[in-house]
Amino acid sequence: MEEKELVQRTIQGDEQAFGVLVNKYKTKVFNLAFGLTRDREIADDLAQEVFIKVYYALEKFKFKSAFGTWLYRIAVNHIRDHLRKTKKMKHIPFEDVHKESRLSEEESNRRESSREKERKIQLLHRALQTLPKKHQIILTLRDIQGHSYEEIASILKLSPGTVDSRLHRARKMLREKIAPFLTQRGGTHEM
Amino acid sequence: MKCKRAETLISRALDGLLTSEEEEALQRHLKECPACQKRKEEYSIMTETLRDQDFPQVKPDFWERLYNRLEEQREYDIWSLWKRWSLRAVPLSIAAVVILALGLVLFLPQPKYELNQTETLLLQDRLPYPEPLTFLEEEGAENKSMQIIFTAMEERRDTRRYFP
Repeated sequence: MEEKELVQRTIQGDEQAFGVLVNKYKTKVFNLAFGLTRDREIADDLAQEVFIKVYYALEKFKFKSAFGTWLYRIAVNHIRDHLRKTKKMKHIPFEDVHKESRLSEEESNRRESSREKERKIQLLHRALQTLPKKHQIILTLRDIQGHSYEEIASILKLSPGTVDSRLHRARKMLREKIAPFLTQRGGTHEM
Repeated sequence: MKCKRAETLISRALDGLLTSEEEEALQRHLKECPACQKRKEEYSIMTETLRDQDFPQVKPDFWERLYNRLEEQREYDIWSLWKRWSLRAVPLSIAAVVILALGLVLFLPQPKYELNQTETLLLQDRLPYPEPLTFLEEEGAENKSMQIIFTAMEERRDTRRYFP
C-alpha cells in the first residue's frame, strides 16, 4: 500500500494504517532523537510525541512533499524545542568534556578498541551538544543519519546553498573543539 | 590556495562534491601544507566516527504504547471539549431562560376580563339596585361610591367561590 493511501486511511480513522506508517519510520525518528539527546528513554519519548503530533496534523498534510520529509520536519522541530527547553540542564562546558576525555585517554591504553570507539563517539557527541542547535541538527541529519543535501534542504526548508555553508561551518566548529584532544599524543590522532 | 579555502574543500570532499579541478588543487595544497594534512585527517576521523556509530534498538512495544497514548489523548480531547462547551453553556443557558421568561410574559394570551352585571350597569350610568336609591341620595357622593365598590366586590366574590 502506498504512503498516500496509508495517510488517507489514517485520516479516515484507520489506526492500523497509521501503525504501518509508524513501523516504517519509527527507527529513523528514534535515531534522530537519540543522535541529538544520547538518551534512549528521552529519545523514545520524543519519538512517541513526534508521532502523536503527526497523527493530529495529518489532515493538514497536502502531499506537497514526501510524507517522510514532512514527518522529519515535524520531528526536527519537536526535538529542537525539547533541546531548547532542556538547554540549561543538558549544557556541559566543553572544558569538562575535555577533562573527561583526558581521563578516557589514560584509560584507553588498557582497553579494547571497541571501548575506544565508544569513547570517541561520546566525546564527539558531548562536543556536538555544545554547538548551536542549528549546527547540531544539520550535522546529525548529514553525518549521523546520512541524508542528502536535497533532503536536508527540504526538511529544514533551506536553500541548498545554505545547507552547504551551514554544514561546513558546523563541521569546522566541531573539529575545532575536538582538535586539541586529537593532537594531544605528540601529533598522532588517536583519542 | 589558502588554508581557509582548503578546509572548505576538505569538508566538501567528504560528501564527494568536488569537481576534478578542485580535487587537483586540494591535493597540490595538501602536499605542501602539513597543517591542512592534519585537518583532513581530523575531519576523516570525525565523520567516520559519527557515521559508524551503533544506535540502540527501538523498544519492541513502541506501536502498542503509542496506540494507548493516542487513545488516552482522544478521551482527554472529548473531555476537554465537553468542559469547554459546558463552560460556554452556562451564560448561554441563563440568557435563554431570561429570553423565554420575557417571551412568556409579553406574548402569552391574557385571560379575557369580563365585566359583571353591576359593573356593566354602572358603566351605563344606571344603578345596579333600585332599593338603596333613597339611601344613596341621602348619604352623599362618598357613600355612594363606597356602596358601588362593595357591591361590585360582593358580586365578584360570589362568582369566584370555590366548590370542590
